[in-house]
Amino acid sequence: MPPADQRTGSIYDLGYRRYDGLRLGRQHAVLSLYVYTLRGAFGIGRRASSKIIPIIITVIAFLPALIQLGVAAIVSDEVDIIRPENYFGFVQVPVALFCAAIAPEITGRDMRQRTLSLYFSRALERRDYALAKLAAFATALMVLTLAPQALLLVGNGLASKDLADYVGDNWKDMPRTIISGVGIAAAMGAVALAIAAQTSRRAYATIAVVAWFLVTWPISGILVAEVGGAGRAAALLSPFDFVYGATLWVFDVEPDQDSVQDLAEIPLWGYGAAVAAYAAAGTALVIRRFGRIAA
Amino acid sequence: MNGTLIRLTARQLLGQKRTVLLLLFGLVPVLIAVLYRVAGNDEPQRWAASALNARLIIGTFLPLAALVFGTAALGSEFEDGTAVYILSKPIPRRVIVLSKLLVSWLATAGVVLAATVVATIIALWGEPRDGILVGFALAVVAGALVYCALFMWLSVLTSRALIVGLLYVFIWEGVITRLFAGVRFFSVRQYTLGIADTVVDVPARVFNPRLGEMEAVALATITTALTVYLAVRRLRRWEIGEAS
Repeated sequence: MPPADQRTGSIYDLGYRRYDGLRLGRQHAVLSLYVYTLRGAFGIGRRASSKIIPIIITVIAFLPALIQLGVAAIVSDEVDIIRPENYFGFVQVPVALFCAAIAPEITGRDMRQRTLSLYFSRALERRDYALAKLAAFATALMVLTLAPQALLLVGNGLASKDLADYVGDNWKDMPRTIISGVGIAAAMGAVALAIAAQTSRRAYATIAVVAWFLVTWPISGILVAEVGGAGRAAALLSPFDFVYGATLWVFDVEPDQDSVQDLAEIPLWGYGAAVAAYAAAGTALVIRRFGRIAA
Repeated sequence: MNGTLIRLTARQLLGQKRTVLLLLFGLVPVLIAVLYRVAGNDEPQRWAASALNARLIIGTFLPLAALVFGTAALGSEFEDGTAVYILSKPIPRRVIVLSKLLVSWLATAGVVLAATVVATIIALWGEPRDGILVGFALAVVAGALVYCALFMWLSVLTSRALIVGLLYVFIWEGVITRLFAGVRFFSVRQYTLGIADTVVDVPARVFNPRLGEMEAVALATITTALTVYLAVRRLRRWEIGEAS
């Protein structure tokens, strides 16, 4: 008679092993989170349906540059239709849409899937998490604000007769373009993220971000243009208006007749200060939110 | 129509907190109208028709409210995974869509209509109304139906209906319609403005929609019927286990 199954009752000592490999530490964790958040903002590494919307919005941001280059290619030389500050006036709309569509993804995904506790149990601190997310989102927005202008600069330069001449003529706009682009991304991105971080429901976060952009806009327009007096300070309420004011300040351009910035009679540096203040407040709110959230 | 479905959807859409937020949202046009009157400007008719109603309410508030309710009525059932409990019951898809549409329409129209009526009365206080009040009141109620039907169809088509709807409202209707005049035949905002014109009786300088009255009414009817049909058809082909 064969013996009973030999395996019954045998215990294997699998052992718990120490990890003796390289530990990459906090800095590496922050950098990885930054890179993955940035990739995630454009849907890179995600399924195709998460790519569609960021790509459509990015294409919208690039459209005027592409159209201008197309015109320059056909009509040839010296057509300079779009000034950098005007491009920023346009690009605010896709930036706002990008904020509404993507900010809830950046903050809400980890809350919904309850992965925050996994992050916070690692080398990463809560503040690091907030800052990495903020930096990644601001970088994603800079792709919308700066890349089309870079394309325009290079393309126009190549289309003109003398590349060196063209770059020489437009050189002084470069630092201004970069400051403006970074400012727009920082102010709109930080506040949008601060709003979106308040809820894990994607739909609510999107609506709240949209409301910030779109409800303040007509209020500012009417308070400044129709009411006047102390109401003119409302130009600092609407992101579209104060960000454009800051762009005008950076480029040292007078506002158009009867535009909100013209009627508000706020010195243009005030808008620059507003952009800095909004960016700082948004950053502080995001850090505070992730400092307190139950993980 | 199904009473239970209507009651459940209403409870789902009009939670206490959400209703308070929406009333605050509806107060914004009213507040703007008050500020406008306090400042005492000329041409209140033109402002009430072209700025307050056409641009602010029909251009921004109506589509936003319709987006919230139109995509949430059916879309949030898919998002929460509760859609399967409705779709596996012997209720015709047509009844589901129409019941959800009715509730989201009434909710949208209720908020926007209240804002329109109060804001317009304030903006035109002591001025001839010339049908501006009735015309735009009618327009927002009709426009709410068209928008809700459109967004409800989007919400069964894609899980990102909110963003797609935003792109439609602010890029297609806001920017592209301004650049290419022919697109006005495919813009719910233009239908709504055209419907307002059936009652509004003011010179073209004060208010001048880009679609004729009959065109607007016909296109709005066709759009509503078509989007409801497409939503029902999409639900008929839905299979259990399939994410929206």
